[in-house]
Amino acid sequence: MADILFIGLSLSSILLLIALGLAITYGAMGVINMAHGELVMIGAYTAVLSGIYLNFNMFVALPLAFFTAAAVGLLIEKLVIRRLYGRIIDTLLATWGVAILLQQAIRLQFGATFFDVTVPGLGPGLQNIDVPSFLNKPFDVAGFTVQPYRTFIIAVTLILAALTWYLFYRTRIGMQVRAIMRNPDMAASCGIDVRRVSALTFAYGSGLAGVAGVLLAGFKTVQPDMGAAVVVDGFLVVVVGGVGSLLGTGLAALLLGQINGIVAVLSNDIVARAVVFGVVIVLIMWRPQGLFSFKNR
Amino acid sequence: MRLSDSPYVDVFAYGMFIAAILLLPLVMDDPFWLNRIAKYLVFGMLGVAIALSWGYAGILNLGQGLFFGIGAYMVAMSLKLQSYTSLQQGSDKPVPDFMLWNAEPGAPTDLCCIVPGSWIWQPFQAQWFGMVMSVVVPVVISYILATAIFRLRVSGVYVAIITLALVLLARLLLIDAQPLTNGFNGLTDLGWLTVAGIEFDPYLTATYYIIAVSLSVVLVLARLLISTRAGLILQSTRDDPKRSRFLGFDVATYQVFFFTVSAAIAGFAGMLYVIAAEFASPSFMDLTFSISMVVWAAVGGRSSLLGACIGAILINTIEASASETELLQESWRAVIGLIFVLVVLYLPRGLAGIGQETVDWIGRKAGISGRSRSGRVTNPSAAE
Repeated sequence: MADILFIGLSLSSILLLIALGLAITYGAMGVINMAHGELVMIGAYTAVLSGIYLNFNMFVALPLAFFTAAAVGLLIEKLVIRRLYGRIIDTLLATWGVAILLQQAIRLQFGATFFDVTVPGLGPGLQNIDVPSFLNKPFDVAGFTVQPYRTFIIAVTLILAALTWYLFYRTRIGMQVRAIMRNPDMAASCGIDVRRVSALTFAYGSGLAGVAGVLLAGFKTVQPDMGAAVVVDGFLVVVVGGVGSLLGTGLAALLLGQINGIVAVLSNDIVARAVVFGVVIVLIMWRPQGLFSFKNR
Repeated sequence: MRLSDSPYVDVFAYGMFIAAILLLPLVMDDPFWLNRIAKYLVFGMLGVAIALSWGYAGILNLGQGLFFGIGAYMVAMSLKLQSYTSLQQGSDKPVPDFMLWNAEPGAPTDLCCIVPGSWIWQPFQAQWFGMVMSVVVPVVISYILATAIFRLRVSGVYVAIITLALVLLARLLLIDAQPLTNGFNGLTDLGWLTVAGIEFDPYLTATYYIIAVSLSVVLVLARLLISTRAGLILQSTRDDPKRSRFLGFDVATYQVFFFTVSAAIAGFAGMLYVIAAEFASPSFMDLTFSISMVVWAAVGGRSSLLGACIGAILINTIEASASETELLQESWRAVIGLIFVLVVLYLPRGLAGIGQETVDWIGRKAGISGRSRSGRVTNPSAAE
């Protein structure tokens, strides 16, 4: 039983990792960022490339990926999303275009393909990164086998969630972000620089996607379309949890991850994912505002 | 009054488009390309379905692939039973070949019980049954879904997320039911559509005409539908659902009706696609495909039926030309991404918007103005 719960917990942590960034960009800013998966992908490629060219290991790649993805996110915000605040469906469509552009940039190696140049680590092929060996050896604690890499992911996710919570609820900029969430016009008239704070918030959410990318790269192959597969799950978690609620996102990730894990053990992976989608549909129909959400006045 | 508001411009634009697709075989005699264009006309029909629900009802359905996929599978099941590939593999009855591979040793080679649940295939032995079901099943499912969604007053982005989750759910179930549906591989090696003893080879000009005429009929009917009273009320529910409700209209009824019509068109399109393409695959229910449809409609003009239709045909035709070389295909995908961002940012009305501006400009130059305000118009020049 404990190992089944652990599988679920490990699935939950990955869901939360991806949803955490979305909880900020979608939950706090009302932007459906379909390119979020591509930011995850960029994080993974940052780890691959820094491993090949700079001999960095995973731990160094984590902050590097955060800043790379944050920079790309900032660029997306400045060029595209800035013009689309308040038009939620249009943000979905425009960022879908951005997602294709980012994928093709990696596939075509930023244009190097046209000159018959091959950059190792880029291109349409599969890449992978090495996980430090001490994270690969399962060990036993009181008759229970611990998978160190999965535990590592859970730990990092918890740290990031705690950090995000602290930023949002205990710092000045976090208070400004929450003010903008409730009412951007009012926030602006109170002297908050809405544009600057929104850009920084979006960059932070994107950076979290980058970190998720590095951790995903540890157990999945890295390829240009790896992000597209995870972004939908992330959205479902945020919507089920309740837009704008970090706690809701966390609990929704826990719930959906456990359902996925338990059903997968009872039947198979495909049915488990189908059941998760079914639960999500019912939950959204029942409570479109999410399981946990603040009341907008 | 602007010229593009004139109903005559509408009639002219639709007439030009229909004439263009009907006369195309006269100038294009390469059966390979004619078959390709036929498939893109089917995508054009999907553009109409999207514009109807998104542009006119304000309901963004990110799971239109579900109805397209169901339509495709229904008719593909019938056509599969008409191809005798399994007989060549030593079966004594024409059962689908993949069932033969999946059957347990000694299982009777009959649809009733060759694999568990295979009896569901039995009525599909009649071709008309598959064809009827490819519209009926999407209508039934979309009606139930839409009733649940709109009676609960779920709206906006949540509808998009529910439909999106639903198409992914259906895709997983389809793949999981491998012995019945051939899973990832889909249904291939299909027979040809046969009507009154005439076989419609997909590369025949007659098959092209079936699709071109179907698209013309759907386009005209959809255009007439949106100018009926129901269509006008629908547009008011899109612009302000609360106000429409206070005015006494049952908003949900109109939304359910148009959602269902849109699904029926998508199912019909799925059926035609199988007739032209000779396969049905779970990739019809991929998220990418459903979002692509929305992209086509947005580029063509989300609030113009003809614009969305032309957008779909145009993008796919250019894509097919670009895919002749691999490098061009990859860079074309990047270009599509860029075009899409630019259209959303700077051209929210899509190609149809350009068309309207042009018509209005001509109108001002020539000093003509439209007489009545009804519906939206596009410019035929966008078709070429």
